[in-house]
Amino acid sequence: MIIVGAGGHGLATAYYLATVHGITNVAVLEKGWLGGGNTGRNTTIVRSNYLFDESAGLYDHAVKLWEGLSQELNYNVMFSQRGVLMLAHNIHDVQSFKRHVHANRLNGVDNEWLTAEECRDFCPPLNIDASTMRYPVLGGALQRRAGTARHDAVAWGYARGADARGVDIIQNCAVTGIRRGPDGAVTGVETSRGFIGAKKVGVVAAGNTSVVMAMAGQRMPLESYPLQALVSEPIKPIFPCVVMSNTIHAYISQSDKGELVIGAGTDAYTSYTQRGALHITTHTLDAICELFPMFRRMRMLRNWGGIVDVTPDRSPIIAKTGVSGLYVNCGWGTGGFKATPGSGHVFAHTIAKDEPHPINAPFTIDRFRDGFLIDEAAAAAVAH
Amino acid sequence: MADLSTMRTPAIEALVTASPASHLAALTALPPRTRFSFRGRPAAVTAFGTVLGFDLPQVACRFAEDGARRALWLGPDEWLVTLPDREATAFAGAAATALAGLPSSLVDVSQRSLALAVSGPMAARIINAGCPLDLSPDAFPVGMCTRTLLGKAEIVLSRTDEARFEIDVWRSFADYVWRLLEEARREFV
Amino acid sequence: MLIIACPYCGPRPELEFRYGGEAHVARPVDPSTLSDEDWGAFLYQRANPRGLHAERWRHVHGCGRFFNALRDTTTDFFAATYETGTPRPAGTPADGETSR
Repeated sequence: MIIVGAGGHGLATAYYLATVHGITNVAVLEKGWLGGGNTGRNTTIVRSNYLFDESAGLYDHAVKLWEGLSQELNYNVMFSQRGVLMLAHNIHDVQSFKRHVHANRLNGVDNEWLTAEECRDFCPPLNIDASTMRYPVLGGALQRRAGTARHDAVAWGYARGADARGVDIIQNCAVTGIRRGPDGAVTGVETSRGFIGAKKVGVVAAGNTSVVMAMAGQRMPLESYPLQALVSEPIKPIFPCVVMSNTIHAYISQSDKGELVIGAGTDAYTSYTQRGALHITTHTLDAICELFPMFRRMRMLRNWGGIVDVTPDRSPIIAKTGVSGLYVNCGWGTGGFKATPGSGHVFAHTIAKDEPHPINAPFTIDRFRDGFLIDEAAAAAVAH
Repeated sequence: MADLSTMRTPAIEALVTASPASHLAALTALPPRTRFSFRGRPAAVTAFGTVLGFDLPQVACRFAEDGARRALWLGPDEWLVTLPDREATAFAGAAATALAGLPSSLVDVSQRSLALAVSGPMAARIINAGCPLDLSPDAFPVGMCTRTLLGKAEIVLSRTDEARFEIDVWRSFADYVWRLLEEARREFV
Repeated sequence: MLIIACPYCGPRPELEFRYGGEAHVARPVDPSTLSDEDWGAFLYQRANPRGLHAERWRHVHGCGRFFNALRDTTTDFFAATYETGTPRPAGTPADGETSR
């Protein structure tokens, strides 16, 4: 078997193929270096407070795996359930978030409504003085089991675990073609380092999924956009949780190194440049400065971009394809990191059994033909 | 139709009154004027020109004027026409007659926006505080006009003189735009 | 920030524009005769190429017009812009090819 892409999702897939299904004759191919794509570029937020049953099932499966992951891998992924607070700035937000809270509870996912004062108590740097804000804080939805993890450690932990069980991880090895036999089924992949035969190929290539799938003649319901993040200079611990504001677009937390980790929005147009326009990050910093006036004089150290593959309904695809032996795990948009363990776990099942795990059964490609969309575009409150 | 001119409520009066003077970068509110949005194909454009008294500009991003009447090219088939309030009723009637049978659209948008002027040697610099266009005289000469952005607000910007710009801004954005320009000119007052 | 050449107004900053997705996606003349497969493909499948991409833009804070552009998605370099309704300029590389 071949997994295309050695990011968190690909490595987790290989790890669970080995540990859960006993399949160790696996090669993970990576055109760059291990965890060097979106795994190493995201803002490390983990949460599962999604609206729809299908999404809540998938993301909460991941959170449950996160909770035992350091022990499972014997590798500290620094999963910290410090809570994710999503701020509401207008009546629509309030109604929508309360709906989320109720829907989440019905699905066994913790989520609670906080007043503006309770939000400030939970996150003291937060400004809730409505007279100084264009978009005042009217309250927030808090998922206490949510939090952050160390992104690189997740890739390394899964890689080490897979490697120890016999999986081959081949870096600097770009897939250049997908070879198919007379019956149309996959027979292997062409790479920059030669042909590798395989009966099953799982594509976990994030922003480059459309390009890889085109090698097998498959058109995908995907568009790839740059998504930016940035970090500040390191400071003493001051920020106790993760705060997200989708309405004015800001994501912020503090890493264990002390940097404020800030997520911006996607650029307006598709691109593979792994950078992005300055006005996008500037807009996010405007929002950060309004929500947290104490950070106004801080300096930003670095900013960068990753390429996120976005589906029309903003939910991922974890499925078999129209090609026998070809599987795809993609479309995570701006929120794939949080799902890493769950994604790998159910994708490994899909490849090993040639049929989806019940959790990822709804996340097919065919839903874009049949109309069974999992429309988190508005519901996830993710501003793609 | 009711005479809306008497019902206009001030949008930025307090800001205008409190605004400090500056010969380097003066910021002024211009008196009310009538605005028509005109859209049409060549036959209607020609007919409209006869009522206006001069041809609508065909060069992109340029305005033409005659006396107190001005026509700004905003798009390949879209113009903003401004004229004194007292001429509005007669003009609208004459235009309706001239355009009869010619597919076109003429809408009175007078109440939608207000006009400001920024003038003085630092005028371009003040506007560039919120507008990303190249406002050097070569790139944005006298007689040029365009829709663009000032900060987060859409405006129509015209250069009426080497050191004078007019800004047409939607009423609800006027407060924001005025304060943004005021902030930019703080070092020159 | 990108400088985009509007076919009507000339070079303008990116902020004045809005992206309109893949160009030349023709709406089927009679959707009711299409298979689910084809209708789904029309609605949702996109080329998303790495390299040149024919795409729609709208100069929303300028002349308001839609137009098409050829942009290299690996560099964001604009190879050409052209009026909507006109075919892709002759002699330009295919989607996914590099612009220079």
